Amino acid sequence: MPDGETGATMNKQIRPDEAASALAEVGRQQEKAIDAVLVPAWYWWVVAVGMVAIGAAVDTHSATVLAVVIPVAVVVIAGLTLAMIFGAYRRVRVRDRELLGGPGALAIVGFTWLIVGLTLGLAFGLRAAGAHLPATIATVVGGAALVIGGPLLMRALRRIMLGNRAGRTR
Amino acid sequence: MTARFDELIHPPTRLAIVSLLAAVEWADFKVIRDQLGLSDSALSKQLSTLEEADYVQIRKAFVGKRPRTSARLTAIGLTAFKQHVAALQQIVEQSGVTVLPG
Repeated sequence: MPDGETGATMNKQIRPDEAASALAEVGRQQEKAIDAVLVPAWYWWVVAVGMVAIGAAVDTHSATVLAVVIPVAVVVIAGLTLAMIFGAYRRVRVRDRELLGGPGALAIVGFTWLIVGLTLGLAFGLRAAGAHLPATIATVVGGAALVIGGPLLMRALRRIMLGNRAGRTR
Repeated sequence: MTARFDELIHPPTRLAIVSLLAAVEWADFKVIRDQLGLSDSALSKQLSTLEEADYVQIRKAFVGKRPRTSARLTAIGLTAFKQHVAALQQIVEQSGVTVLPG
């Protein structure tokens, strides 16, 4: 059917296979819109590397290393995170409230606290136990959790958003 | 949701535009154009048709010196889309055809 065709001239008798293919197209376009706002896998790797750099810098106990590595890592992580949020926000903004809802927001907050809690808890625990390179070990574990958990979080958010989208296929 | 077949939404390009906009608060003109693989003029034409029916609201703004056009589905447009999808689902369900999840 040509794009320019007006509704007034369209045939109202839609065949079931045409309706099915229209519904499939609806789903495809909405999936693409949702995929466009999800964080790519490489983002988690960059943040994890930044975390490990901070951890390793802390374990050097060198003021010079700390003065260089921490600001650089923080700027990279914060800059990338802001670019992710506001870059996507400028291009397209999903219906957060309808699509993510309470479970989506809870998953994001829960994941953030899990990574922060795991990394800091492990670092202080290892330090108290007298372990060698406690901050490095803790950030490697936290970074690994981020690299594994980040894409899993995105998959869960995608599932939630697809389930809440308007006009989803029953 | 009441099922109501909407002849204005149903043509493939407009259905794709409205489906995309139904998932977002608003989307940049370029995002819609690139996602649907349309030319600027083709997208403008379809958006104008949807705007005339009060289904879509077009917003023009400047970011620095660059003009930025974005589009959003109005409440009327969103309701029409949901009713249209319900109508399509009704057609499919009555026939027993299976729709692969999109």
